[in-house]
Amino acid sequence: MTTSHAVDVLLDGTLLTLNRAVGVLRRRNVAVERLTVHPCAGSDASRLTFAMTADAATVDRVVQQFRKIVGVRAVETTTNDSNTEEQT
Amino acid sequence: MSENLSGAQIICRTLIDAGVDVLFGYPGGAIMPFYHALPEYPQLRHILVRHEQAAAHAADGYARASGRVGVCIATSGPGATNLVTGLATAHMDSSPVVAITGQVSRPMIGRDAFQETDIIGITLPITKQNYLVQDAAELADVVMEALAVAQDGRPGPVLIDVPKDVQNQKVEYTPPAGVGAQHAAPLSKAGDDAVQRAADLIAAAQRPLMMIGHGVILANAYTEVRALAERTGMPVITTLLGISAFPEGHPLHLGMPGMHGEVHVNRAIQRADVIVAIGLRFDDRVTGNLAKFAPRAQIVHIDLDRSEIGRNVPTAVGIVGDAAVVTRQLVAATAARRCDAWRAEIDAHRRPPDASFRGGMSPETILTAIRDATGGECTIVTDVGQHQMWVAKLFPYRRPNTHITSGGLGTMGFAVPAAMGVHLARPGETVWAISGDGGFQMNMAEMATMVQEGLTVKLAVFNNGYLGMVRQWQQFFHGKRYSSTPIWSPDYVKLAEAYGIPGYRVQHASELTDVVGRANAVQGPTLVEFVIEQEANVFPMIPPGGSLSEPIEAAV
Repeated sequence: MTTSHAVDVLLDGTLLTLNRAVGVLRRRNVAVERLTVHPCAGSDASRLTFAMTADAATVDRVVQQFRKIVGVRAVETTTNDSNTEEQT
Repeated sequence: MSENLSGAQIICRTLIDAGVDVLFGYPGGAIMPFYHALPEYPQLRHILVRHEQAAAHAADGYARASGRVGVCIATSGPGATNLVTGLATAHMDSSPVVAITGQVSRPMIGRDAFQETDIIGITLPITKQNYLVQDAAELADVVMEALAVAQDGRPGPVLIDVPKDVQNQKVEYTPPAGVGAQHAAPLSKAGDDAVQRAADLIAAAQRPLMMIGHGVILANAYTEVRALAERTGMPVITTLLGISAFPEGHPLHLGMPGMHGEVHVNRAIQRADVIVAIGLRFDDRVTGNLAKFAPRAQIVHIDLDRSEIGRNVPTAVGIVGDAAVVTRQLVAATAARRCDAWRAEIDAHRRPPDASFRGGMSPETILTAIRDATGGECTIVTDVGQHQMWVAKLFPYRRPNTHITSGGLGTMGFAVPAAMGVHLARPGETVWAISGDGGFQMNMAEMATMVQEGLTVKLAVFNNGYLGMVRQWQQFFHGKRYSSTPIWSPDYVKLAEAYGIPGYRVQHASELTDVVGRANAVQGPTLVEFVIEQEANVFPMIPPGGSLSEPIEAAV
């Protein structure tokens, strides 16, 4: 079932890591809404957040690809319908 | 103790400290400071290739044969872009390669300077990680980290882009912590619960199968995989990159699955009720139509890469971990059993190789001649196309990791340069690079590298005057319109002579034993052209997108 998922990625605050992360979305042609990046106060990390509309399996695949990126520290997803949350 | 070193010197020092002893590369403007420093470090043997693509393939071949990182060097711009195919090949086949590229000096970056290209941006999707080094003080740490990242977990390529002025920059150098220490990431073990569920599935199965892939070779899991097979009686299928991970000729060995898999192998997959898949990713050339793949099977998938579990096929039990460690756990958890009735059922559908493979100048007789000349004690590096499938199906591999080929990317031109890397990783081993006439012509300039650097590679060219695999597809699926597939070749014997190496042409099967024997025995590189039937096909064949149950078994 296709639903809207919020994805929250904690990653190294470098453009190269951010570029690699966004590349995962670009390559898979993920329908992304509201992509934002902001620094995490008091650390060298950044937080990338976006919403994507997809089925659970697609979201899982995207999350797994994010977790493979060197410099990605954590990925969380929230299904906007159920408010269920998965954490690493 | 610190000293004042240039960035280029730091790269060399760190590579040596990390145990690197061979580099494959090609100099140019932006990498000149590195090449200026290189003669100060004779511990680093540099192989001057004839094209940077060959440097990347050679580093890949070195990595696959040695289990260590292969390193290639190129200049900025065209040097760096020429590496791309080799890095993508290594990425698809999980091979640990580190590429070091020169870049224009920092003040010139972003100005479209001479030979400037954004190689970081270009290689993002085909590397595990890459670095643009902005300060020579970071170089030692970056090189160490790159070598570690390339090997850790699922291996892959890493690129380090070093601006020319950073290579020249002098900094106080202190060996980074960890230099000299062998890098070893902890091997991941599976949870007992998942292992027990997998063992239960195997115990309850009527028709269980094992499928093993490149992950078994990368993890050196040969003993464990064989123990699991022999304990359970499960027949074993080896994917293209899993070939040689299980001894051919073992009673439990079935062969290669997928698009050119034998009928009984694919039939076994379609009939199996449990498939234990170790270190493979269910590539589309293996599965055919995914919706119709293994319709009766519950799949146990063991892989180091979490993202592969459930990616292409639904899994009943997914286990993330090192193939050797997890398989050992599984052996301990699994009760001994036999699969005699199931094996008999599979064997009832076993057929002799297609008639076109036998007799005359067929792939089988040629490969038999190579096997006889080498006593089977050789590593074979194949290119991509019909010959690749013939070798995969017919060569009797007995020792682990003696079959090296470009699987995922399917890179024509891979065999000749990769074989140079294999030779350097295994200097005492006979290495045959087998190509078609198409792929050989892509990187045949590397014969000059072999001569200049004294690299002993036996070159075999299966010459049918066609880009044979494409021609086969045109025959089956494009109305026999052989568009741009007939391909002219030079006189390979004269070509070999021009490079100063012995060259042979074999046109009749009666000459095979003698010529292959001589080519194999002579010192240094040699080239043997095998003139084969022009329109031979690789059978059986699953049409693209077709199910494994619907093979084409004869010419149409």
